[in-house]
Amino acid sequence: MSLLRATGIHAGYGGADILRGAELEVAANEIAVIVGPNGAGKSTLMKAVFGLAAVHEGSITFDGSAITNHAPDRLVRGGLSYVPQERNVFASLTVSENLDMGAFTRRDDTTADRERIFSIFPDLADKRRQPAGQLSGGQRQMVAIGRALMVRPRLLMLDEPTAGLSPKFVDQIFERIAAIRDEGVAVLMVEQNARRALHAADRGFVLVNGQTRFADTGDALLRNREVAEAFLGGAGP
Amino acid sequence: MIEIAQLLVFGVVLGGIIALGAVGVSLLFGILRFAHFAHGDMMTLGAYIAFFFAATLGLPLYFAFPIAIVATIAIAVAIDQVLYRRLRRTAPVILLFSSFGMALILRSVVEMIFGPDTVVYDNAIRLPWTVAGLRIKPDHVVILAGTALLVAALHLFLRHTRTGKAMRAMADDPDLARVSGINTERVIVWTWVIGGGLAAAAGMFLALDTRLVPLMGWHILLPVFAAAILGGIGNPYGAILGGLAIGIATELSTLILPPVYKPAVAFLVIVAMLIWRPTGLFAGR
Repeated sequence: MSLLRATGIHAGYGGADILRGAELEVAANEIAVIVGPNGAGKSTLMKAVFGLAAVHEGSITFDGSAITNHAPDRLVRGGLSYVPQERNVFASLTVSENLDMGAFTRRDDTTADRERIFSIFPDLADKRRQPAGQLSGGQRQMVAIGRALMVRPRLLMLDEPTAGLSPKFVDQIFERIAAIRDEGVAVLMVEQNARRALHAADRGFVLVNGQTRFADTGDALLRNREVAEAFLGGAGP
Repeated sequence: MIEIAQLLVFGVVLGGIIALGAVGVSLLFGILRFAHFAHGDMMTLGAYIAFFFAATLGLPLYFAFPIAIVATIAIAVAIDQVLYRRLRRTAPVILLFSSFGMALILRSVVEMIFGPDTVVYDNAIRLPWTVAGLRIKPDHVVILAGTALLVAALHLFLRHTRTGKAMRAMADDPDLARVSGINTERVIVWTWVIGGGLAAAAGMFLALDTRLVPLMGWHILLPVFAAAILGGIGNPYGAILGGLAIGIATELSTLILPPVYKPAVAFLVIVAMLIWRPTGLFAGR
């Protein structure tokens, strides 16, 4: 049973549509990644799901009900949460306050959730009173993911979570994402580092020119000769 | 020495008034991305509403002031809901021009009701106290205490309430606030509550320090903008420090310049900041 399903998506930001027939499916408890060349519309597909790009054709369902073109705050209350690629922390707010903002739609006590985030990302625990703008790129990414987890989403969407990070942080982020999945949160992410991402993924989508060209398990896509040659820089090891 | 200390007192009084206005301008810019040109006239409006209750109805000022603050807040929120709200999806420059129009409307309404002449809250002459050689007017004590109280309340609101934190988050990054699930329209209404209330207080304190005239708010708008820019636009704490800095610099300028050049100080600060530190002195963002 799929948690998120997008079919025949045509979407854009006002001019010509960037997506022209994109498909997507994410099941509960799995990591799905969208890979593809620059300009294929990977981020746009994620934004279309999250109500930040206008969907003109096609439909998106979450847990069986239609969410096409729903506003972000409504989607957050419905169990989706999204981390943009850039500018994804409130720089002048402390780490703790950033996490509080993620829980804005919740009215109950969120102390336990905050402590849980600090146990997922121990680096952040002793920086909780520091403004997020003073942290390193990797730590900011952790704050951003932590903020998105505070609402206890069923689907966490990450736009290039490892872009610009040092290898040490890239490893950490991938490892944490797997741990988050194991706790029962489905993850959908866009990744530039395609080979690495497909290794980590349960399911992968190759997006080309606004269309979903391949959809399969991560392993199958890695073994697929056509995918490897066109999009992963030749046959892998 | 005593002369400089005296100017510092005047500067802090003026700076506090400017700061109260600048907090609203800064938050509104951070959250709605436009320079609210009607902010000065919102101050004028608050000052005149207090005048109506104090001078016309004969209420004491400590009753008239809170009533005027509440009334100005109601008007600010109403203006937002009726006018600015409809323009939020358009280019920010359209909001800017509509606020310019609103400035003219507010000023004209004040002038139609109260006339163009200068008025004061009361005509009683209060002699200044002399403290360690400094002349301190009782009104100044009221202004300083009132400003300190409002700034402390603002701080508690911004740091310790859900809505206050969301307001800082939104001033930081409105798009990220939206994707975090923050109810941005609600935060906007609260921003008008804070901005409108502080503008009314600033206007009343300015009227208490000097006198009421329909152009009073328009004339102080430039120093208010200078303070917001100095403090880093969108940063309410910077706006307070910026206000104090502009107020003190304006008063101290009379040591070397003829007093008629006082308004030029704020103008020079704006020009200098836009050239060298456009993100403000306290830019940590």
